[in-house]
Amino acid sequence: MLATVASATILGVEGRPVTVEVHVGQGLPGFTVVGLPDASCREARDRVRAAIICSELDWPNRKVTVNLAPSSERKIGSGLDLAIALALLGATDQIPADALAGVGAIGELGLDGAVRPVAGMVSLVDAQASTTVVVPNASAAEARLVGRHQVRAVTRLSEVVLGLKGEGAWPDPPDPPAAPPEPPAPDLADVRGQPVARQALEIAAAGGHHLLLIGPPGAGKTMLARRLPGLLPPLSQPEALAATRVFSAAGVPVPGGVLVTRPPFRAPHHSSTMVSLIGGGTAALRPGELSLAAGGCLFLDELGEFPPSVIDSLRQPLEEGVVRVARARASVTLPARFLLVAATNPCPCGEATEPGACRCSDAARARYRRRLSGPVLDRFDLRVEVHRPDPSALLATEAGERSTAVAARVAAARDVAATRGVSANSAIAAERLDDVAALDRGAHRMLETALRQGRLTARGLARVRRVARTIADLDGVDPEAPLGAEPVALAMALRSDASSYLQSAA
Amino acid sequence: MSDLDDPHSTAPAPRLFAVRGPLDDQGPGPECESVGPDRAGADLDDDLPAAAWWVALAGLPGMGPARLRALWEISSPREAWRLVSAGRAHLVPTVGASMGRGAAEQAASWARAAAGIDVGGRWQEHAEVAVTTLGDGLFPARLVDDVEPPLVLFAAGDLTVLQGPTVAIVGTRRCTRAGAEFARELGWICARAGARVVSGLAVGIDTAAHEGALDARPDGAPPVAIVGSGLDVVYPARSRGLWRRVAEAGVVLSEYPLGTEPARWRFPARNRLVAALADVVVVVESPRSGGSMYTVDEALRRDRPVLVVPGPVRSVASAGTNWLLSQGAHAACSPDEVLAAVGLAPPDTGPGTLLDPRPKPAGDGRRVLRALGWEPASLDVLARRTSLGLGPLAVALNRLEADRWIDREGGRVERRAKP
Repeated sequence: MLATVASATILGVEGRPVTVEVHVGQGLPGFTVVGLPDASCREARDRVRAAIICSELDWPNRKVTVNLAPSSERKIGSGLDLAIALALLGATDQIPADALAGVGAIGELGLDGAVRPVAGMVSLVDAQASTTVVVPNASAAEARLVGRHQVRAVTRLSEVVLGLKGEGAWPDPPDPPAAPPEPPAPDLADVRGQPVARQALEIAAAGGHHLLLIGPPGAGKTMLARRLPGLLPPLSQPEALAATRVFSAAGVPVPGGVLVTRPPFRAPHHSSTMVSLIGGGTAALRPGELSLAAGGCLFLDELGEFPPSVIDSLRQPLEEGVVRVARARASVTLPARFLLVAATNPCPCGEATEPGACRCSDAARARYRRRLSGPVLDRFDLRVEVHRPDPSALLATEAGERSTAVAARVAAARDVAATRGVSANSAIAAERLDDVAALDRGAHRMLETALRQGRLTARGLARVRRVARTIADLDGVDPEAPLGAEPVALAMALRSDASSYLQSAA
Repeated sequence: MSDLDDPHSTAPAPRLFAVRGPLDDQGPGPECESVGPDRAGADLDDDLPAAAWWVALAGLPGMGPARLRALWEISSPREAWRLVSAGRAHLVPTVGASMGRGAAEQAASWARAAAGIDVGGRWQEHAEVAVTTLGDGLFPARLVDDVEPPLVLFAAGDLTVLQGPTVAIVGTRRCTRAGAEFARELGWICARAGARVVSGLAVGIDTAAHEGALDARPDGAPPVAIVGSGLDVVYPARSRGLWRRVAEAGVVLSEYPLGTEPARWRFPARNRLVAALADVVVVVESPRSGGSMYTVDEALRRDRPVLVVPGPVRSVASAGTNWLLSQGAHAACSPDEVLAAVGLAPPDTGPGTLLDPRPKPAGDGRRVLRALGWEPASLDVLARRTSLGLGPLAVALNRLEADRWIDREGGRVERRAKP
């Protein structure tokens, strides 16, 4: 009296296949789950029992043992409910054993026999080796994204039983109502004036250069940052699937449908904890904001207000493009290759960019300076002050350039970068810079002077060259030609020493 | 703490200074009794000079010039100390009045603090600095008849440098590059012309003025600083080097005994001394409210002339100075006008300083410099004024910055007056 059904559990963004084995045999009536189930998994016994009885099926008055194989791995969540129920019905001959061959099942059961969705459906289905998967109707669209299985969308346990026994047709429920369409991305045309900040946005999008916007409240930092994803090229199919997996695993609804097609834009508040950004936290090691932003933008507004420990925790992901979350029971690698955009006031009162206007205490300025200096600041290739636009620009009737026009240049520049074998110029290895970002005489002399005068550091040099390469690519300069003085000077101009005005003059 | 870090130990060994209680001898002068730095026997209370009691009194919590003054009126400082130790100081009408409401609590807190103070030991600790009290031979002459004189002054450096013309150069801590440059130039020229530069050693304008004065050494006049904390409590800490250099070249003064932490209420008191010690007060940059405006009030109270450096109309750092001008203050448009106010002739600045060694900007550089003027401007503004693209503008700015025509600060470009 044994039956098995394939299912899966999730860890991070990866699905792990699980075989659910149910044995019904002699002994005192009971129900035991073995194979490292977590609390929500152990609770399956009560849900499964009620669901079976409510579906007018028989509950065996014998000893039931459920084993979740491989038994060395921890099983998390309620997604195994359906598989347990089906295997139990197989073991008690309520479903013929051969009907269960090659069938996987994922879903949570309600006490009334309803089949409910669980988070991470994309990865869970992807982990299935079986040819058919039974999934809750609400997640069917996600399950179909994988494309390798015959997906059976169901709403009740009784429908599954009838379908498997061949006594009734598989239901073909209507798709759940489509999510409201994603609102159009804000357009760069709304931004009046600000030519320098606009240019910086374009360069950031084209080269994948992390961008820091510094300025007083009301200067338009957030407005600018929110227009960045609209400049990025749409996600390719593999990128879209990877992003969708993360959204699915995190249980975050995808705006406007099932597949993430536009680069994601995540803007966690500065009170966010480190775990919510990095990931982990639950036993399933749920992906954090960094992973949700992978392939798109992570926007940290009020960077100076984030706890220093949170800012520091960004360093390794920025360097490696992945987050490694290790816990006592498991460790996972989560995607984290995103474009970082941050905005900050120059000081707590926000007025320090205006000489003499700052009213902060020295101690408050020193605290801000510490947060906005050194290692953190170094991660930003572009550091741009945003000033309050002057009134004439605000009232100008002519709109700025539209996002679509800028996005076209960005896409062209990304194509040029692709010929160098990188997705964007920010990924060019330092040792390749002499090849792909050679300098002409004027540019060479300019950088030499700046280095000698201490206006540029050795670390800054490589970053300036990458940014200059992007600027030249955007200008449509011959990709083989050495960099001239203009892109190099502009790259340096867009790299302000943000801590400078927190020191007093003189 | 290394020796070098400790202004206390690096201050020059104190010269002979007179220490004299006000009631012992009212006539300051060369004949007054001197007590050398050798204070052997100071553990015997009876042998302690009057100044020792003033040091102890000045270090009590909440002790300011007015209260110290009221205690001064009692009789001898020893008697004042006894009253304070007994917690009965507030019963003396003048002292009680100076303490206002809560006098009894204040007197009790003084008594508690006094119980923990070993007067002789405190006096020994102050062997490193000069101590002068109102009425003794070294007490600054400008303060003797002041409306609100300090009763005791602590000095690192040479107190005699105060004899001679003085110019206070004050201004905001959050100054512009141009303001700091002008303060520095003014400090340099004043010192060269023989005027002692008086300032408060705060960051910003104060620091720039003293740096200019120090640049003029050894020919220039010695600098004078007044600080709002104990002479061994350097605030802000990064000014430590400047404190030491001012003490070595001139003098750093404080009303407060060693170990006194800076407190908000001590800075206005410090500013009154800046005004009192100056023959003329120059405000370089100040917002509409702030310490410099307080210094101006104190200067006007003492009929000291106040000169004000005009600034750009929109600059927050010049809002206060421009307001003073609109109220009728005299403008100081050049260092020479300041010197004229103290009756000094412009110094011979020597050849060479007139020649600008910087290469003359040409082409776009000249265009940018002309569009920039003397007010800080952002890249956006410069791009609009010059109609240059961001690329050529960046190239021109880079060239100008390399040649030291401009500086960048807070995302704005500022013109430098000097290389």
